[in-house]
Amino acid sequence: MSWGITFVKGWFYLIMSLMLDLGHLALISGLIYMMVRRASFHLPKLNYLRSYRGEKELRPVASNWRIEDWIFMSVLLVIEFTGFLQEACGLIVDQPAWAIWSPIGLAIANTLTAAGMSVDTAASIRGMNWWMHGVLALAFTAAIPWYKAKHIISAVGSLLFRDKKPLALLPSEPKDAEKAGISSIEDFTWKDMLHLDACTKCGRCHEACPARTAGYPLSPRDFILDLRVYNDEAQGCTIPGIDLVGGVIAPETLWACRTCGACQEICPVGIEHPALIVRMRRHLVEQGKMDPLLRNTITTIGDTGNSFGENSRKRSQWTKALEFRVKDIREEPADTLWFVGDYASFDPRNQKVSQTVARLLKAAREDFALLHEGEKTAGNDVRRVGEEGLYEELAEHNVEQMMGAKPFKQIITTDPHSYNTIKNEYPAFGEIAPISHYSSVLADLLSSGRLKVKKPLNKRVTFHDPCHLGRMNGGYDAPRKVLELIGCEMVEMPRNRDNSFCCGAGGGRIWIPDTPGTEKPSENRVHEAARLGGIDVFVTCCPKDLVMFEDARKTGGHEKDFVVQDLAELVAEAIELKSLRLEDLPPLADRIVKAVANQISEAVASRLDTVLAARLASMPAVSAIAAAAPQAVIAAAPAAAAAAAAAAPAASTPSTASPAPALEVAPPASAPASESASAQPVASGDLPTLNPVSWSALKPVQPANFAGYTAPPKDGPRILVTVKHVAKLGDEYGFTPDGRDVRREFMEFSLNEWDDAALEEALRCVERIGKGEVVAVTVGDPEADTSLLKALAKGAHRAVRIWDPSLANADPITIARAIAGIARAEDPDLIMSGVQSGDQAHGATGTALARILGLPHAAVVVGLDWDGSSKLALARELEGGLRHTFELKSPAVVCIQTGINTPRFATMKMVKQAKQKPLVAVDAAGVIDGSSGYVVRRMYTPEQTKAEMLKGTPPEIAKFIADLVRDKKGG
Amino acid sequence: MSGILIIAEHINGAVRDITKESIGAAVSLKGSYGGPVTVAILSSDPDALAASVNLEGVDEIVTVKMAGDHFDPHIYEEATIKIGEQMKPGLIVFGHTVNGMACAAAVAARLGAGFASDVLALKAEGGEIVATRGAYGNKVNLEVVFPKREIVVLALRGATYPMPTNPGSASVRALDLDVAAAAGSMQHTGYIEAPPSNIDISKAEYILSVGRGIQEKENIPRFEQLADKMGFTFGCSRPIVDAGWLPKAHQVGQSGKVASTCKVYIALGISGAVQHLYGMKHIDTIIAVNTDPEAPIFNVATYGVNVDLFELTKELESQFS
Ligand SMILES: Cc1cc2nc3c(=O)[nH]c(=O)nc-3n(C[C@H](O)[C@H](O)[C@H](O)COP(=O)(O)OP(=O)(O)OC[C@H]3O[C@@H](n4cnc5c(N)ncnc54)[C@H](O)[C@@H]3O)c2cc1C
Ligand code: SF4
Ligand code: SF4
Repeated sequence: MSWGITFVKGWFYLIMSLMLDLGHLALISGLIYMMVRRASFHLPKLNYLRSYRGEKELRPVASNWRIEDWIFMSVLLVIEFTGFLQEACGLIVDQPAWAIWSPIGLAIANTLTAAGMSVDTAASIRGMNWWMHGVLALAFTAAIPWYKAKHIISAVGSLLFRDKKPLALLPSEPKDAEKAGISSIEDFTWKDMLHLDACTKCGRCHEACPARTAGYPLSPRDFILDLRVYNDEAQGCTIPGIDLVGGVIAPETLWACRTCGACQEICPVGIEHPALIVRMRRHLVEQGKMDPLLRNTITTIGDTGNSFGENSRKRSQWTKALEFRVKDIREEPADTLWFVGDYASFDPRNQKVSQTVARLLKAAREDFALLHEGEKTAGNDVRRVGEEGLYEELAEHNVEQMMGAKPFKQIITTDPHSYNTIKNEYPAFGEIAPISHYSSVLADLLSSGRLKVKKPLNKRVTFHDPCHLGRMNGGYDAPRKVLELIGCEMVEMPRNRDNSFCCGAGGGRIWIPDTPGTEKPSENRVHEAARLGGIDVFVTCCPKDLVMFEDARKTGGHEKDFVVQDLAELVAEAIELKSLRLEDLPPLADRIVKAVANQISEAVASRLDTVLAARLASMPAVSAIAAAAPQAVIAAAPAAAAAAAAAAPAASTPSTASPAPALEVAPPASAPASESASAQPVASGDLPTLNPVSWSALKPVQPANFAGYTAPPKDGPRILVTVKHVAKLGDEYGFTPDGRDVRREFMEFSLNEWDDAALEEALRCVERIGKGEVVAVTVGDPEADTSLLKALAKGAHRAVRIWDPSLANADPITIARAIAGIARAEDPDLIMSGVQSGDQAHGATGTALARILGLPHAAVVVGLDWDGSSKLALARELEGGLRHTFELKSPAVVCIQTGINTPRFATMKMVKQAKQKPLVAVDAAGVIDGSSGYVVRRMYTPEQTKAEMLKGTPPEIAKFIADLVRDKKGG
Repeated sequence: MSGILIIAEHINGAVRDITKESIGAAVSLKGSYGGPVTVAILSSDPDALAASVNLEGVDEIVTVKMAGDHFDPHIYEEATIKIGEQMKPGLIVFGHTVNGMACAAAVAARLGAGFASDVLALKAEGGEIVATRGAYGNKVNLEVVFPKREIVVLALRGATYPMPTNPGSASVRALDLDVAAAAGSMQHTGYIEAPPSNIDISKAEYILSVGRGIQEKENIPRFEQLADKMGFTFGCSRPIVDAGWLPKAHQVGQSGKVASTCKVYIALGISGAVQHLYGMKHIDTIIAVNTDPEAPIFNVATYGVNVDLFELTKELESQFS
């Protein structure tokens, strides 16, 4: 187009002229197309109505956007038209020889001339139109920063400063940050602001988002636009009275996200929505504002290291079904460390997949090992939930375990979530070996021939790209290659590879219940697969996907259409894994040693028997068992005690040099072979004794004397809260050698829920009063610090832990006596204690404590009102729910019942920060002085009349129950 | 050491079952441990209650007239000590109840006596008490002993020992005690009834109860509907009420309602804590659904189902649709 000044000449000019001409034609067509589309098709992605939020009418700002959009398009169109008019007039006036190089201009010129426009008219129009076109175009350019078109500038910035791995590697929180995440406009960085400004409202993310599709109140576009509107108004400063999180962006919106990354992947201007969402979640988590189920899961992960709340000993239990032993990388080196992850370790369906993968690796002679109970959940989802502190702790733990392990060369995992975090986020914590997803391991093993396909499957399959493998780490090809190598016909779903549609489990959503009335993203996905028609298998390569899609296949009504299977299961079928022998063949040297040992042991066996019989006879029978099998693990179900008793002494004699064949493949010493053996332990050794007491010689229990302990001076009312780190047993446990307690490794610990309620009540008291302090006191070993730190994180000011090994599993009078020692020094204005502990359920410690201190007391309190004065208004709950109200004089001891409040949540960051608070350990040697309430003689698994366990599938059981109910109701 | 002293519990002018159960426990212990068995009643009108504790095997009833009937643990403690000083019993028995929790341990600490609570079995070996209690969510039992203690205080678990039914021939003795030292610690102000409700667990014949295993509030309507379809009353364990998911009237158990007339009880995701069992373990047909094969609820259930309750619920829903 000629602008009146020629600054380029020759061929170059001519080609330029042609290109510009065509370019502008394209722009005009594009603009017209956009206008028609907007006017007549009502595309959802261009609709600013937030109907998913129940909005019925456009907000004013959104109507303005609509007007703005139209003005923008119209003005641009006018500029374009006047441009062409200018060119046409120029051609009419100048009649240049090269006019043909501006074909559009020429066509218009010819039309105008044909319509009777003279050269003079053209010249005068040219003069006027030059101004009009020029002014419009300049104004348009100059106004850019103030209206929609500013995204042209910010988009460049946004794209330029885009994170290399947005979402795959989330930003961490500054170490010394006072608060977590984004809670106000000041927390946005300039880069965030640039992102907000850059959005062109194209709506692609709106269309791609699985949460929005499923009916959740989240549109990544509107999320960005809402923030932008707020920011435009706020100009970088908080607007009083409007909370960013909660006011501008609803918590439901933030929790709806699956951190699948579809939005950022598709965004043409490089906006990173999910990272912003996660940073805002961090704030919600810090406030404890989250779904109760999520909160429980997070607490559980903090307590046990996995989201299933299982004892870590159970993490590698799935390996027990294997024909061979799986190495422990903490004990022996291996080529490959397999990081298994939670779902693959604990979920029953996925355990089968893990077993298949293990067998495949074995069949390929891959030298691999696990961290076994040293592994904790990787933390990918914990981090995306926004619990940054807990994530850091998990990452530190796992990295420490890996760095402290025996040498290995590479890491593999079946879990894309663990894969992503270990690969991208763990390097911040230490050196990480290269990690591969098992899909690429399988692809390599198959193409190198280490796994040989014996039976090409000839199945028609479709494949779901897991977000954390595909979009976030580019792992699109390996699974497809595996499917090809095993002879599957691969049919892609319309949304595949970088446009894959999330199963809905990411970002912690697997721990948050679905909102009623929404479609599960996973169902949406299986419908998509079903529409392909004639699919045999829906293939996954992510443990969470397997769970989600197995479920969706059923709930979505596609049980007859296809099955959901893991990639490894298909490989196993294709290589006919079942026909391979995978047992460990002991090396020759071992066999020789064993043969020799066998001979020796046979020779000495008879002599040993005699010696043993003599020894047994000289001991009380019971202690012989306990002493001979100090490591025996007793399964919960009582079984043949006699058998165990017979086996136990033998197990500790030298004859074990030749273990029974069955033990050859058993796990090493850390998981004893006697796992399945069962016996009732019987106490041995001397029982602690008690001080003599009779009516003529009463001995009121006195507070323990901790001479060295002094409390800081009081500043306002002081409330002492007794807390306990309580133990929970799983379905398998073993007793200590003396038979008087359960062995510690079978226990999972957490803060006692009754004490949690008591602590909450105490915190509320000091908050209400406006001054004072809460001191948490426990009797427990150093591990109980976990619960004390939790108490401190929630707001307790100081903590005291009293300990001596003699206090393990002590009776409530002893515990009360120990706490009374501290209470005496602390001189509190009120003592709160939980009604009972979840593990021992004495329901007595608080009451005993009150008496030892000579204080008034109340048990089972469900209502409390205290202003720090000497009057304490209380309500206790009686049997049947009746409440008894009364008053006590403080100081007093009040035992709090659950339900009185909802205890607050402490994030791991708060727990870490709580380490700055004073926590004093008090040595209690000598507290056990015979004044205890009781002595434990023995602990055992009761023989109980067990229910008749109904076997069968859930439908069969339901039928049985239904029949039974109808029968009972009929009769 | 001489005999067993039972501190009676009463409410609204009636002796509570736990006291009769304690009498049952004491009487069966008498042979191996030695009597007499004495029941102490502390009340504004103790004589009115004396008859209901005069059960077979009771040797003596001690009545103590009190100023009021509102339970005050400080006064109970004081009175128990005073009675004890006069009668010198070897064993003092409370119920492991809300009242018992408020005073049994205090009595023990004050005397320096042996002490155990939530005692579920009791015996004497060579004149020494051996008490059994549960631990770790009642997955294991432990036997505790009290060497060298001539006084032992126990709080017995409710609904565990049989109540004697035959009348006894105990002598009744009134004691005049000075409990002034303990008076004034506590000021009674009133009672608040649980809010009224149109559901009555204590009269229901069929109950479907849910516990913490149902995971979240949003699931409540689903189970409520199932109960409805089955013609069952909808019950729950305490944490469900604590969390505010259901009104108190639905709660089965010690601090809720005892399902006295229930014939079939279905427990979904309830572990079987003692206080819950208190309200339902007597029921004839109990079906318990729990993913933990060692959940104590299976020890009282007729039928146990070790599957995910949601899987089973789905099937039950189609059975009763
Ligand atoms: C003074 C006092 C009075 C009390 N009064 C009462 C009372 O009246 N009533 C009462 O109920 N409690 C009472 N309690 C509380 C009691 O001690 C327990 O805390 C409570 O009963 C536990 O309730 P729960 O079984 O629902 O929860 P939990 O003990 O947490 O058990 C939940 C169970 O659900 C199972 N589960 C989880 N998920 C699933 C699944 N998907 N499928 C199947 N099973 C699953 C778990 O294995 C577990 O066994 C009282 C406590 C005190 C101190
Ligand atoms: S990450 Fe996924 S779920 Fe979250 S906003 Fe983006 S598209 Fe939606
Ligand atoms: S894809 Fe990017 S530019 Fe388009 S609406 Fe979404 S955030 Fe805005």
